[in-house]
Amino acid sequence: MNRLGLLVRQWRNRPGRVIATVASVAVAVGAVVATWLSADASREGYRRLAESIEGVPSIDISPRETGRWDGSGVPKLIDIPGVRAVVPLVYKPALLRSEERRIREVAVGVDAGGLVDAGFLKLVAGRACEGPDEIVVSRTLADSLDKSIDDTLLFLSRRGGYRTMKITGIADTQSLSALSDGGGVVIDIEALGELTGVRGLIDRFRLVLRPGASRQAVLAAVNERLPETLHAIVPAGRASMAHDMLNAANLGLDFVTALTVAMAWFIVGNAMLMNVTERRRAFALQRVLGATSRQISRTLFFEAAAMGAVGAAVGAVGGILAAGPIAKGIGRAIRAPDFAISYNPWIVVGAVLIGPAVAVLAAWWPTRQAAKVDLLESLAHMAPPPENISWKLVTTAAVLWTLAVGILLAVVTGTLPPRSAVPAGIATTLAFIATTPVVLPLLARLLAGLVPRPWRIEGALALEQILRQPVRTALTTGVLVVAVSNGVGLGHAIRDNVDDVLAWYGKALKADWMLLQAGALGVSRETSPSAGSGLVEEVSSIEGVASVQPISIAIGSAGGVACVIVARDMPAKEQLPLEAVGMSDDDLRKIVDDGGLLAGTALAQRLKVKAGDEVTVSAFGRTIRAKVAALVVDYTAGGTSLFLSREAARKIFGIDSVDALLIESTPAAAAGLREPLQAVAKRHGLLLQSHADLHATMDRIINGIVGALWSILGLGFIVGSLGVANTVTMNVLEKRRTLGLLRAVGMTARQVTRLVVIESLLLGLSGCIIGILGGIASAWFIQLSSQPLLGHPVSMSFRPAVILSNLAAAIAITAIAAWLPARRAVRLDLLDSIAAE
Amino acid sequence: MPLILAEHLTKTFDAAGHDGSPVTAVRDVDLSIDAGEFVAITGASGSGKSTILHMLGGITRPTSGRVMLEGVDLAKLDDDALALVRRRRIGFIFQRYNLLPELSLLENVALPLVFDGMKESACHKAAMEAIESVGLAPRASHRPDALSGGEQQRAAIARALVTSPAVVLADEPTGALDTVNSRHVIDLLSCLVKDRGQTVVLVTHDPATAAAAGRLIRVIDGRIASDTLVGDADERAAASPARTVVR
Repeated sequence: MNRLGLLVRQWRNRPGRVIATVASVAVAVGAVVATWLSADASREGYRRLAESIEGVPSIDISPRETGRWDGSGVPKLIDIPGVRAVVPLVYKPALLRSEERRIREVAVGVDAGGLVDAGFLKLVAGRACEGPDEIVVSRTLADSLDKSIDDTLLFLSRRGGYRTMKITGIADTQSLSALSDGGGVVIDIEALGELTGVRGLIDRFRLVLRPGASRQAVLAAVNERLPETLHAIVPAGRASMAHDMLNAANLGLDFVTALTVAMAWFIVGNAMLMNVTERRRAFALQRVLGATSRQISRTLFFEAAAMGAVGAAVGAVGGILAAGPIAKGIGRAIRAPDFAISYNPWIVVGAVLIGPAVAVLAAWWPTRQAAKVDLLESLAHMAPPPENISWKLVTTAAVLWTLAVGILLAVVTGTLPPRSAVPAGIATTLAFIATTPVVLPLLARLLAGLVPRPWRIEGALALEQILRQPVRTALTTGVLVVAVSNGVGLGHAIRDNVDDVLAWYGKALKADWMLLQAGALGVSRETSPSAGSGLVEEVSSIEGVASVQPISIAIGSAGGVACVIVARDMPAKEQLPLEAVGMSDDDLRKIVDDGGLLAGTALAQRLKVKAGDEVTVSAFGRTIRAKVAALVVDYTAGGTSLFLSREAARKIFGIDSVDALLIESTPAAAAGLREPLQAVAKRHGLLLQSHADLHATMDRIINGIVGALWSILGLGFIVGSLGVANTVTMNVLEKRRTLGLLRAVGMTARQVTRLVVIESLLLGLSGCIIGILGGIASAWFIQLSSQPLLGHPVSMSFRPAVILSNLAAAIAITAIAAWLPARRAVRLDLLDSIAAE
Repeated sequence: MPLILAEHLTKTFDAAGHDGSPVTAVRDVDLSIDAGEFVAITGASGSGKSTILHMLGGITRPTSGRVMLEGVDLAKLDDDALALVRRRRIGFIFQRYNLLPELSLLENVALPLVFDGMKESACHKAAMEAIESVGLAPRASHRPDALSGGEQQRAAIARALVTSPAVVLADEPTGALDTVNSRHVIDLLSCLVKDRGQTVVLVTHDPATAAAAGRLIRVIDGRIASDTLVGDADERAAASPARTVVR
């Protein structure tokens, strides 16, 4: 027998502990792999969802100050990794005439042939326009005008030019809308310039990205090459909304993944600690017999590496298997297309390689303790001496608190980006865990005081065991602290944010029905004013319609940041559809009536402007300086929006479109409106959505995000129970002699079970209370750090249901966790127990 | 040069008192032990006799004073060097035997050699010889839990002898045994001294066990109260006439 043989003998002699240690590593690795894969799949799902909202991912380049320009100064960009094409675009409002009908549309000037060849513009019929007399129209427009290939349209420009144009192609509406921000017709760029007097000028260069390319990376690379006068931005409207949704989802997923990694670390650390602590006496004896501390350390590191490798391999496979159903559930929730885990065999290989390293690292502290064990301990035949809370731990807690608060302040003040909230959140959680040993004794004493009088002896014994090893207890309950803190923190934050969105949605989109232009949130169109008002009159005349409110939506930029300009009336008799920040509704209404410009909080945050500041606003080639009269809470296009009355929009920007109609019905007439409104929608090429449809869409997105986060958090609770089970088992083993003696003098099996369960519950409740405090702090933390993203504070509500459900889950988990150690305690052989040590 | 020389040994345990105050278990002890001596340290429970033994064996370091083993100052050795001394030059026997339950008797006895990196076959050969010397050869493959208390203690003696140490330190070796087994163990230790010239230092509170030793040191309240040569007084007095001291 050599030292390896001695180790193998120890394993054989205590298979339960070996299995528990390997299983702990496996669960931890499994949780990380499952979370990682699910989060990755969720990211991919959100990315695709964002893509489906946004269309082809793209970046726009335009001048910082002026509107249209000659395109000069743009360096070579096509060689930047991820860039698929660089497309010059010109937008011009135009009037189209077809027989008696006159339609205002946005004409887009591009190299249509090149785009069709490259697959960016999909045609459902015909071919791309080439000559000056050719035009491609969207399918929606073709249908609404009842036009087909080779038919003609009269194109009238604002400058008075006109030309009869032949329809050579019909484009897929979605494809055209994504490429041109809602443009309805495509004309050769030179022909459009000639017709409208902007020859040689363009509005922007659009960089079309390759599938899977990182927009942030491309954005950074492009901005590096651009001269000062130009800037690259994410297109407004849908793209911006998708971009923000993606950012928020990724932030949440990063946070959850990081917390799972932290929790996994505690599980592995806890397992290694237990694995080593259980054999303290054996190591002390080996030291007495001549083993050096280095020999003990090497043996333990080898053991940790071996267990880490096996556990990691099992965990990686388990994690992959578990990730499948989780991802499937998330995919169903958000209805993302082809949502699936990408199975990579390297994950298993990576886990097997990283697992031992992590296990060895986790075993470092307990190994050091074992190597330094007091040799007298092996001769004293007693349990390890009680631990004292070291100043090192208190210092660690203080450092972590300082770090967390420091990062939080930096995030809130904008010194650090919102993404820094992730390490700050981790630091907060760790700070709570480091503080646990300090508060645990007091908390456990208080809770033990609640043990019913007939069970006081069991309660006292359980308390004694907990107080004896506060650091170990704190480290092991740390897993539960993380799980509860996550549950309460994210539970509060998610519900608060969802409520905030729903409150906005309830105010802003108060209608029974909505009629929308295709791609309304990404448009830069101008429909005919007459057609618009005609549409309002047509809908108003339908029986059962109580009110119709037209909304105009246009693309633009403010202070160089892409934004959506929303123009809507706010009748005096109705509640304001917006929530003012820092002023009363009456004041806000007055500002709107006076034609004032309102900025969404997220836009204001990005521009770093407040009410009263001036900004440069550009739309349709018009650039004006305007004063931001007030800030409003808004989630349209991620809050990067400007609001004003329709009259003001007409005067300032010339926007007079009807891009959406909010329709309220008379009581009980809502359902009956579907048919007549559907007919209107068909006639005008519009989309009809009921309030229920809208609600379902909102719910789907919200449920998807909430569901994804909760299902990943659920894993935390399951693995949290392992930590408690481990500690209680360890305590039972340490107390074998005491338990044996107590049984010998008449303690019943039921009393022993009660003792173990009480100990488990005291641990669980202590961890849970600390976790709840940590969770509330985290929720507050998340709200503060999300302020720079949203631009307005989301009010934090105290939610007893979230707290109670976490408390109940923690109690249930710890009670279940006590089952195995309680069984073990009851089954202890009395003679063996008394003879133990 | 004495085999073991202890000078001004003092040991204070921090916060060991009921009120958290420090407790001085051993106070200013001087002790010299020659090779081949059979020394019994006696005293009441808590008198500090085991602590003296632990300091002599390098299990715990004195708060002040020093222990020289074969001329080597144990205080000057780091933990690993001290482990080497314990492994090669000292054999320990404990009241509770302290055999590892997962190992067979043969493997338990071979343990110090395993730590020394000796080849497996050589380990087993040496361990078997030690087991035979305590009369347990037929039980070599058994686990400790299959042996009686007396047999386990004999196995512990074999483990203490396997490295041919300079001194065997025994802490209450008969404390957990009945009279018959105690007698066997004491006879075994006596034989070691007589037949092999092995130095043995024994801690016991049992007068009958102490009577087997040639030198009796009584410890009271952490101090040596008396250090007496016993048994064949003339022979012992001739061997070391100056050692009989009463404090």
